[in-house]
Amino acid sequence: MRALSLHPVLDLCRILLQEAKNLSPLFLAAFMPTTNSEVSPDATLVSRLIQKDVSAFEQLYDRHSRAIYGLVLRILQQAGMAEEVVQDIFLQLWRNAAQYDSSRGSFVPWLFTLARNRALDTLRLKSERQRRHEDQVDELPPVAAAPEYEKVLDEKRRAIKVRALMSSLNPQQKRAIELAYFEGLSHSEIAAALKEPLGTVKSWIRNGLLRLKEELQAAS
Amino acid sequence: MKNCDQFRDMFEAYALGALDAPERAALEAHLTTGCPECSKSVDEARWLVSQLHYLAPEATPSDMLKGRLMQTIREEARSAPRFVPPKSNIPFWMWAGVAALFLATIYSAWNAQRLTREIQRADQIAAAILQHRHELETQLEDAKREAAILVDPASVKIALASPDPQAPPLEAIWHSNLGIVLSGQKVPAPARDRVLQLWLIPKTPGGKPIPSLTLRPDADGKFVLLVSNPPELMAATKALAITEEPPGGSLAPTTPLLWVGGVS
Repeated sequence: MRALSLHPVLDLCRILLQEAKNLSPLFLAAFMPTTNSEVSPDATLVSRLIQKDVSAFEQLYDRHSRAIYGLVLRILQQAGMAEEVVQDIFLQLWRNAAQYDSSRGSFVPWLFTLARNRALDTLRLKSERQRRHEDQVDELPPVAAAPEYEKVLDEKRRAIKVRALMSSLNPQQKRAIELAYFEGLSHSEIAAALKEPLGTVKSWIRNGLLRLKEELQAAS
Repeated sequence: MKNCDQFRDMFEAYALGALDAPERAALEAHLTTGCPECSKSVDEARWLVSQLHYLAPEATPSDMLKGRLMQTIREEARSAPRFVPPKSNIPFWMWAGVAALFLATIYSAWNAQRLTREIQRADQIAAAILQHRHELETQLEDAKREAAILVDPASVKIALASPDPQAPPLEAIWHSNLGIVLSGQKVPAPARDRVLQLWLIPKTPGGKPIPSLTLRPDADGKFVLLVSNPPELMAATKALAITEEPPGGSLAPTTPLLWVGGVS
């Protein structure tokens, strides 16, 4: 027994493990044990989407199309145009899903950032403004790093918190944030629109968002 | 750190897209340096800003939108190459080699264990055979010695008589060099936990009986006992005696003498 050396086998296993590390996270995910608590339905659907699974696409559409359409409609204020943008968003998702890096953050915030960017780009074209990121039209947004409390606070409770916080702000502060988020205006443009000092607008927006962060943290 | 301090108030506005061009350019230039703290803060701010989508009320798009989308998706899915997991750089022959090596290793280990077990079994059988042979050789030696004692004219015959008239007489033949052969037939068996023990009674006045071997007759009451090395010389021995003792014998007789025979 002693005479039989196992070293060649161990060396080969080491090589195979090294090779396995070079495989894509998706391929490895098929062999890695995971728990339901760790993998959201969206993450599973996106994994299938990368494999061009039409059924996964349809499920993702059914899960998020109403919220996406609501956001785009809120920005564009025109149903036909909003539907065209939503169609573009979901087609882009279908064609470029592999670019979404699940290790960096959650899918939903990324999807809504993508939707907002596309809607604002369309809005800027519509109003014939200079597009700020003309060379980035087809690029997908970076994935936002989700804080720990994202997992604790479910979407419904987060939605309630966000709406409650915004309702508690003074109307001008709320309007400043809405102009930035839904109309894509800069600090200077908001200050001009509201006829308020630039510094005040900056403080309103920053303080409002920091309060939102504190509220979400406290609620979790 | 001081460089980062000037951007600390900008992360949320940057994620929101509200920074004016000069500020945005300055922050983006800083981010391209790979500052981990600011990059992390910007990532967190992006997530925070993404939560503002909850401010927009949900709305239902037309069914036609879904219909158009699904039609396009199905067409693209049909024409798109199916997803295949990334291929490994390891060629097939190497996988086959690993598998063969793995199987060979398992077979070798199993075979080695089997051989080890067989060797152990063979060792046990050989040891038993050697033991048996040794016993046979010992018996043969004893038989030769007994025969020599019995036929040698120099041997001295000693009759051991019992005070019990029912007990058969025993016979001992003592050769001064080869030892004593003690035998008997139809000897009543001692109690279950007792044996018969041979004693040499010295000629020395007041000398204590010297203990020798113990024996048990067989089922027919027959026995032959060879004492190869008697504990005393024949010339110094006055008589041989037999008593009943516990298994293993005693240092001094604990029961009355059952047989006694004088050494002439």
